Amino acid sequence: MPIGGFVIALDRSIQDEVLTQFAKFSQIEIHGVDEEGNAVAVIDTETSDEMEQLTRDLQKIDGVLSLGVTYFHAEDEIEKIESGELKPTLSFGRKGEKPANCS
Amino acid sequence: MSLSRRDFIKNTAALTAASYIGMNLPFVAGEANAADVASWHRGTCRLCGTGCRVQLGINSKGQPVAMRGEPKSRTNFGYLCMKGMMFYKIMNHPDRLTMPLYRERKDQPFKEISWDKALDIAARKFAEAKQQYGPNSTAYYGSGQCLTEETYLFQKIMRAALQTNNVEGNPRLCMASAVGGYLTSFGADEPIGSYANIEKSSCMFLIGSNMAEAHPVIFRRVMRHKMNNKDKVKVINADPRFSATSRIADMHMQFKPGTDLAMLNAMAYTIIDEKLYDKEFIADYAVFRKGKKVLVDMEAYWKSLQDYTPEKAAKICGGNITAKMIREAARMFAKSDGTVSFWCMGINQRKRGVWANNLIHNLHILTGQLCREGADSFSLTGQPNACGGVREGGGLCHILPGHRLVVKEKLRNQVEDAWGIPRGRIAPKPGAHTIKMFQQVNSADIKAIWINCTSPAQSLPNVDLYRKGMAREDVFIVTSDIFPTRTTELSNLVLPTAFHFEKSGVYGCTERRSQLTPKVVQSPGEARPETWIATEWCARMAKYLNDPVVLQTVKPFLGKEMYVEQPQAIWDEYTQKLTKGRDNDLRGASYTVLKQMADGVQWPAPTEAFALTGGTVMKFVKGVDPMATSMSKNEKPFQFYGPAHPDKKLWIWIRPQAGADEEPDADWPMYLSTGRVIDHWHTTSMTGRIPELMRANPYSFVEINPKDAMRYGIKPNDMVEIESRRGKVTMPAKVMEGPIEGMVFAYWHDMHEDRMINKVVKDSFDPGSKEPEFKICACRIKRVSGPKALKPFIVT
Repeated sequence: MPIGGFVIALDRSIQDEVLTQFAKFSQIEIHGVDEEGNAVAVIDTETSDEMEQLTRDLQKIDGVLSLGVTYFHAEDEIEKIESGELKPTLSFGRKGEKPANCS
Repeated sequence: MSLSRRDFIKNTAALTAASYIGMNLPFVAGEANAADVASWHRGTCRLCGTGCRVQLGINSKGQPVAMRGEPKSRTNFGYLCMKGMMFYKIMNHPDRLTMPLYRERKDQPFKEISWDKALDIAARKFAEAKQQYGPNSTAYYGSGQCLTEETYLFQKIMRAALQTNNVEGNPRLCMASAVGGYLTSFGADEPIGSYANIEKSSCMFLIGSNMAEAHPVIFRRVMRHKMNNKDKVKVINADPRFSATSRIADMHMQFKPGTDLAMLNAMAYTIIDEKLYDKEFIADYAVFRKGKKVLVDMEAYWKSLQDYTPEKAAKICGGNITAKMIREAARMFAKSDGTVSFWCMGINQRKRGVWANNLIHNLHILTGQLCREGADSFSLTGQPNACGGVREGGGLCHILPGHRLVVKEKLRNQVEDAWGIPRGRIAPKPGAHTIKMFQQVNSADIKAIWINCTSPAQSLPNVDLYRKGMAREDVFIVTSDIFPTRTTELSNLVLPTAFHFEKSGVYGCTERRSQLTPKVVQSPGEARPETWIATEWCARMAKYLNDPVVLQTVKPFLGKEMYVEQPQAIWDEYTQKLTKGRDNDLRGASYTVLKQMADGVQWPAPTEAFALTGGTVMKFVKGVDPMATSMSKNEKPFQFYGPAHPDKKLWIWIRPQAGADEEPDADWPMYLSTGRVIDHWHTTSMTGRIPELMRANPYSFVEINPKDAMRYGIKPNDMVEIESRRGKVTMPAKVMEGPIEGMVFAYWHDMHEDRMINKVVKDSFDPGSKEPEFKICACRIKRVSGPKALKPFIVT
C-alpha cells in the first residue's frame, strides 16, 4: 500500500476546475497550492500499480502541466515481494531459458 | 491526538513535497519523522542521464522501503519521475541473476557454477584467444550505465593486460556524435555550462529531443521556466515528430527527416544576413573552417550559406517549414538575452550527426550565446554515466582516460607511466568501433568478448545480422548483468552483478557532474560488483598468460574489500593519476568530498577546496573555471583551452546539407524513425519487469500520421507490418498527429521477436563519430490485420 508525495504543476488560469477534478479521486489529498500553481498532493493507493495508473489519469486532465514525484514509500510491498507473497505479475521466472531464436 | 502509522507516512510525503516549493504545512515535523525509515542514503538515479539525486530510505532490516528526491541537488531540486521511483522493485525482483551460469555450447542449457570456476573459465578463454589469435581477438563492450570505476578498470585490463584497444560501449550508439561535435567545434568534449542556464535563459531551442519523455525532470525545469515567464521566454521545438515536448513550444518546426542541416544553415544565413551576429565575440574567439586543416574567412562561410537562403531551405525541409519561420526562429535565437539549445538522439543518431552538432554550435558561436548566463549549446545524455564513465574514463576504442587520444604516443606514455607498465604496452592503433567490433564477431576475428551491463543483441541496428555472429560457437561471450536479456541468450558465461546501491561508485551526468552512490543494500545471492569480478578475472589471466604486467594491472586493487575500498582505490587511481592537468581534472572530487556533497562536483575541480564549492559551473570562464584562470594566455575573459584545438579558438564549420544514408524511394516509400517512451528504459530488461511500467506500455507501437493511415487503410490498433531491406516486424498502430506525413515512428524497447524494431533499422554510421543512424531509414508499411490481443514479453 504505497504512499507518494507529489508537486503537481497546474495551469493557474483553470486551477479551480482542475482541483474540482482532483476532488473526484478519493486517493488524493491536496495540502495546498502556491501562487505559481504548484499543488502539494499525497496519493495513497492499494498498490503501486494503482498509483502509477492514477498519476497517468491525472496527467490527462486539462490544466495539469506536470506531475513531479518527491517522495515514495513502498510500505509493505518489499516484504511481500521478498516473502513471495507478492509476485510481479509480468515475471516469468528463470525456468524458461531457451537458446535464442535468431530468425 | 495520536496518528496512525499510515498518517505518519502521509505527513512525511506531504511535508517533503511542500518543502520543495517552500510551502508551510500545519504538521509537526516530529510526527512526520515517525515513518519506519531507519536511515536515508544519498545516491544518483540509475536511469537516464539527467543525474537526479535521490535518497533511498532503508528500514531496520536493511530493506529499501522509501525514496525521495534530494532537495539540495542542483540537478533535480528534489523532483523525480515515476520511472526512477520504481527502481526499488528492480532490486528485489525474483528474476535477478544470483549465480554464475555457464554452458560450453550456446545450444545447451545453462548450469549454475561457482565464482571460482566462472572466473577461471573467463580467464582461460580470453588468455587462449590472445595467445592463439592475438590481442585483437579479444574485446570488451560496456555501457553508459556502468560506474566510472567499472569502465575505467575494464578498459585498463583490456589495454594493459590484453594489449588491445577493442574497448567500446553503448554510448557509441547514442553520444559519439556529440563528442565529435564538441571536439571539432569547441576543442573539448562535453557541455560548457549547466542545467542552471535553463532558468536564466530567454530562448530555448529544443531540437531532436523529446525531453518531456526522455528527460522528464529537466523538462519540468524547462516547462516551469516557460510557464513562469510566458511572454519573455520563447521555446522553439524543431523535430519531424510532434511530441509531448512540442506542446509547450511557441514554435514547432516540423521538417522532413534528414533536412536538419539545411534548416540550421538557413538560420545561420539569417543571422548573418540580418547582422544578428556578435562581431566582437567572433573576432576574439572564433575562426572559420572548411576542413580540419582548411582555414577560411567569414566571406567564404557566407558564400557557402548562399545555398541555404530561408527560401531554398524551406523547399528542402518540407513539412511546415517556411522561410518566414526560419527567419523568426533565427531572430529569437540571436536576439534573446540568453539562448540555450538542447538536443539528444534526433541529432546524434544521424549519418552526419557530427555535422548536425557543429551547425548547432555554429549558431551559438556566431551569436556569442556561450559562456554567459542563460546561454549554452547543450547535448543531453541518454545514460547516467555515458559522460563520466565512457567519455571521461576511456571507454571507447579511440580514447584513453582523461580525454586522451590513443593515437598520440605522448598521451599513451602518460597513461603507461601512471599505470606503472612499460612504455609501448598500449597498442598504438584505436580498436574496433562498435559496428566494426560486431562485424568482427560475425567473422569470428573476435574470439572472446565481454559484454557488461548492456544488451547489444537487442540494441544494435540491423540487429539480426549481428545476433547471428553472436550465436557462433567459435565466439566466446561473457555477459555480466543483473537480469537475463537477449544478449545472455547468446552467451556462454553469465555473471550476476550487484545493482545500484548494492555497490559503491560514481556516475558523471550530462553537466560534467560526478556523484557518488554508496553501497547500502545487500545484493541477492552471489551477485557481485563488477570491479571485484574484473579484478579477480585479470588476476587469473596473469597465470594463464604468464605475464607480470597482467598482474600489475590490477595489483593495486587486489584483495581489497569489494564494496567500498576497492572502488575507492580505483577512483583514486583514475582521478589522481589520470585526470591531473586534463580538462576533466577530478583530483578534488575524492570520495571524501563526494560523500559530503549533496549533488557531487562539476569538473574541472583540481583541488578538494574548490570541489567543495561544487566545482565548475561554466567552463572556459576566468574566475569561474580554475583551468581557464590558470591557463589564461591573455586578458580576455574566456579561455578556450580545449585539448583538440591547438589555436585555442572556437571553430565555425562549413557543413553542407546531407540527407540520410537511406532515403525513401518507390519501393520503400516511408521514413522510419525510432525512439523511447516515458515508461521504459532502453531494452526494458529493468523497466519491463516493473508491472506498473510494463502495463502502461506493454509492447511497442508504431505511430502513424493520420494522412498516411488513411492512405494505407490503417485504423488505430490495427496490426501493421514495418519492413525494410533488412527485416520486418509487426506491431499495433497509433494513428496520431505525431510523426510528419511520410514518416512512421516506432518505440524501440520491445524484446519480442515480432516487434524488435532494430531488426529493421539500418546500421549505416557517421563516418566521423561511427555512431549509427538509428533515426532514419526507408521502410514500407502495410496493414496486416485488425487489432490483436498481444502479450508483453521479457526474456527470462
